[in-house]
Amino acid sequence: MNASPEPIVAIRALTKRYGAVTAVDGLDLEVRRGEVFGLLGPNGAGKTTTLECLEGLRTADSGTVLVAGLDPRRDERELRRHLGVQLQSTSLPDSIRVGEAIRLVSAWHRVPYKVGLVERFTIGALMRREYRQLSGGQKRLVHLVLALVGDPELLVLDEPTAGLDVQGRARLHDEIRSISEQGVTVLLATHDMAEAEQLCDRIAIIVRGRVVVCGTPQEVTAAGHSETRILLRTANGSLLPGSDVGAAHFVGAENGYLEWTSREVAEAVTEILARVQRAGDVVDDLRVARPSLEQRFLEVVTEAQQ
Amino acid sequence: MTAFWTSLAIQLRVDLRDRGTLLVFYLVPLVFFFVFGGVLASLNPLMKDTLAATMTIFAVTMGALLGVPEPIVKMRESGTLRAYRANGIPGSAVIGVQATSAFLHLLLVSAIIYLAAPIVFQARLPQVPLAYLLVLVTFIVASIAVGLLIGAVAPSQSWATMLSMFVFLPSLLLSGIMFPATMLPDVFLWIGRVFPATHALQAFYGFAYRSTTEIDRTLALGVLAGIAVIAFAGAVWRFGAIRRNEKD
Repeated sequence: MNASPEPIVAIRALTKRYGAVTAVDGLDLEVRRGEVFGLLGPNGAGKTTTLECLEGLRTADSGTVLVAGLDPRRDERELRRHLGVQLQSTSLPDSIRVGEAIRLVSAWHRVPYKVGLVERFTIGALMRREYRQLSGGQKRLVHLVLALVGDPELLVLDEPTAGLDVQGRARLHDEIRSISEQGVTVLLATHDMAEAEQLCDRIAIIVRGRVVVCGTPQEVTAAGHSETRILLRTANGSLLPGSDVGAAHFVGAENGYLEWTSREVAEAVTEILARVQRAGDVVDDLRVARPSLEQRFLEVVTEAQQ
Repeated sequence: MTAFWTSLAIQLRVDLRDRGTLLVFYLVPLVFFFVFGGVLASLNPLMKDTLAATMTIFAVTMGALLGVPEPIVKMRESGTLRAYRANGIPGSAVIGVQATSAFLHLLLVSAIIYLAAPIVFQARLPQVPLAYLLVLVTFIVASIAVGLLIGAVAPSQSWATMLSMFVFLPSLLLSGIMFPATMLPDVFLWIGRVFPATHALQAFYGFAYRSTTEIDRTLALGVLAGIAVIAFAGAVWRFGAIRRNEKD
């Protein structure tokens, strides 16, 4: 990651209501230049509305949004030169060819048709295909290419891999990494925790229109209440029936495995292995399961909704 | 401006690949012209005199009312317009390109009918071709404006089809292109005067063929231009309202 501290997106006290429903409720957020930033949250948390406000596709009720120093409400046209957008729900005319769509967007961005972009995404074979003939993954890829036609500083992707198969998802992940390596800031909304962990330098979890946690995936995960699970099976079952061991709290035994939880993992594992050795026993299997981002996400969402 | 012309060139190529567009702008109007043109001319030899005008009115009405609104509503419903806007293509440019391509298709099909009518059916050519062109252009613009208005007010594709039919069918039956409007009861005669097709026929008769008209020819052309302005203004206002609603 080559992130500098200067924010490319600065959102302060953003509020957006739809009638009686408050979709975004005083949200603050900063995205630094060069990073891949993930917005996570349950359905209806306000992710898409937040993105639409910064894309200039929706008008906020209050608060300020600055994207590359521009106000999307006032400077929408100028903003398009700095911003590439892939919407959550998007389409093109059925009969338009991929090459025509790229030529069309290039013309409106006043940039030459980029052969390099086509080569980089290896979509040369699709250029003469009509939009209706593309698979879901190919359509996503085409929309990603269209978002990059104007050489944006910031690429906004709203659930870019939703509905894709494993291969399509892996390919899109590779492309997003490659885009980030070129220095483009990527802001993506996703429901996929694995995607957020693999791709994002920082993430924010939004619940009820507010950011409740923000940091690197590791920081967000570590800040939770969940403890690391330690599972052990020995040849002779010497530690059965099981008890607390130093910093490890004994949870129970099942199928020959003893389970502990602990925050001081290294200390706990060392002490457990020492006991096994002292008993003249041999370790069959040892597993250390750190809390996942998904567990932390569920914890955060449950707390925020209570 | 270069972007607009690039968009138009791409739109025309897309249209040529789209079966629906080819059907409503070319195939059905031309089949109707070649099949029913002969039938109408044999049933009423007087119709042969103005066959180019009547068949053109059918073709333009069909293309503009069935070919313009549906793609616009589809683009709104499918998120294509939003995708274009997110990619830096203004919605007004997309609608402008749609309208311009429709204009070119309707001009082309009208030209085919104009040139084919005397050859195939020995139809009379208008006495004042320039006046024919003026009325034709005004009528195409008015019809496209009505098509845009339908595309702007229809909440869904099925509504668009229904509204288009609501204008298209009475335009055919009450305007006088299928049979003389004077044969109609007064109430239908007056209802027919709501539609651009009626005034287009009167303007063609009066200006291009120099024949007698049921409505003053200048008034007919004025009403046609008025319909174009009002429908276009309504469509612009409605598209603006849709955009504001999408942002709210």
